[in-house]
Amino acid sequence: MKRILLSSIFLLAALVSFGQAKKPIIMIVPSDQYCISRNYKMTFQNQGMTQTLPDYKTALQTDPDLRMVITKMGQIMADRGFPLKDLEQELKNLEQERAESSMLTSSSSGSEMSESPIDALKRVAKADIIMDLDFEIKRQGPQKYITFTLKGLDAYTAKQVSGAAGAGKPSTAASPELLLEEAVLSYMDGFNAGLQRHFDDMFANGREVKVQIKVWSNWGQNLESEFGDDSKELTTIIEDWFADNCVNSRYNLSDASENFMKLEQVRIPTMRTDEKGRPRAVDTRSFISDLRKYLNGMGVPSKLYLRGLGEAWLILGEK
Amino acid sequence: MDMKNILKVSLVAVLALLVTTGTNAQSRKERKILYNSQYNYEIEPVGVGQDGTKVFKVWGYGKDVGAAVMNAKEAAVAACIFKGLPGGQGSAPTPAICSQPNAEVTNAEYFENFFKVGGKYLQYIALTNDGDPSGEDRLKIKKGYKVAIYVQVMYDQLRKQLEADGIARRLDAGF
Repeated sequence: MKRILLSSIFLLAALVSFGQAKKPIIMIVPSDQYCISRNYKMTFQNQGMTQTLPDYKTALQTDPDLRMVITKMGQIMADRGFPLKDLEQELKNLEQERAESSMLTSSSSGSEMSESPIDALKRVAKADIIMDLDFEIKRQGPQKYITFTLKGLDAYTAKQVSGAAGAGKPSTAASPELLLEEAVLSYMDGFNAGLQRHFDDMFANGREVKVQIKVWSNWGQNLESEFGDDSKELTTIIEDWFADNCVNSRYNLSDASENFMKLEQVRIPTMRTDEKGRPRAVDTRSFISDLRKYLNGMGVPSKLYLRGLGEAWLILGEK
Repeated sequence: MDMKNILKVSLVAVLALLVTTGTNAQSRKERKILYNSQYNYEIEPVGVGQDGTKVFKVWGYGKDVGAAVMNAKEAAVAACIFKGLPGGQGSAPTPAICSQPNAEVTNAEYFENFFKVGGKYLQYIALTNDGDPSGEDRLKIKKGYKVAIYVQVMYDQLRKQLEADGIARRLDAGF
């Protein structure tokens, strides 16, 4: 009892004294199964292979049931302090942004905005936690019932952090819309409890992220090259850095060769104090930025490539 | 063996028997404790409630029907806070509002005030069949009644109140 009390006091004290951690962006996305089974899909040939991808725009523009479920869930999440990023609006914004950035020129020289192919590729709808949604109105004789599946997925670790699934009570009289509303109301409390457990774990043990270390092919050295006064392999130097800087030294080197290191389940602190003594929220980029500085001091330049709140790549050899 | 010794041995044997049976069976006193237990909520789901509410059937104990109904109302709110609601009749299980273990002990003073006679908990009971329960929902037990009422608990409002009072953690706490 005493331990529980003490640990909760410490947790609260940590939260109060360190301010606000980076808030994950949550977005509801209809599952591939939902879109493809209802013909909201795009099919194209990719090197002789037929590939089918969900067409979210058509799904959101034409499916009233989907819109209703997303709206209801969004309302509940906003009420809990997590307004959702709306997929439909985000897709519209991206289209608009694409059109505007291709037309925009500087007024003095007429220069276009600089954009690399990777910048263009990065202009997609993104979220840190995806609520993968799937439901179906089924019939059993004269009765209708709803099967409902909702998965909360961490976009970076690909782990399911919460979930709710099941079938509703069959009914002859109720309209499908009413049954769908019932399903949402029924499952959201359980889903949010799962999300709460995920956040509690994050504050207690650090945010779980993914880091990849890669090497530019023109560098001339690799992760087996030796650096430092005691001539350690770069892989060992990097591993030691993670052991020193992760919360409770928790990380997992899941795969490695002389050209790459894949670190998963890396637990980074949610908050830290910067040089000016201010509390700052930590994301993967700022965490790995410290590793970049450390390696730079050893004569290993690198480029930091961000893939969102929870994943970053460090490419060694040059900027 | 004289009479005195026989008496002694049989007394010990009877005592031993009493002790061993006592550990297995539930005495009347223990059952009474069970009735008064703050953990003994009997809940039966009846369906999915309107937005932000939970509807279910809940049992209460009391010396008379009125007292048992009040006890049931208290149990309804307490179950939402500490125990969570089981799933059934089309509704999915609902987790407890206070997810941290032993919340009732950690915040004993708060809850004593919250659940006092005529306390704030009554604000979150929206609808009951408050007429005296009859038929199978009204059981006469020794020295009192066990009754069931249908309640609609304003679950979201209750959660927000506990969050505002710092008893339950907000989902976005820390962000």
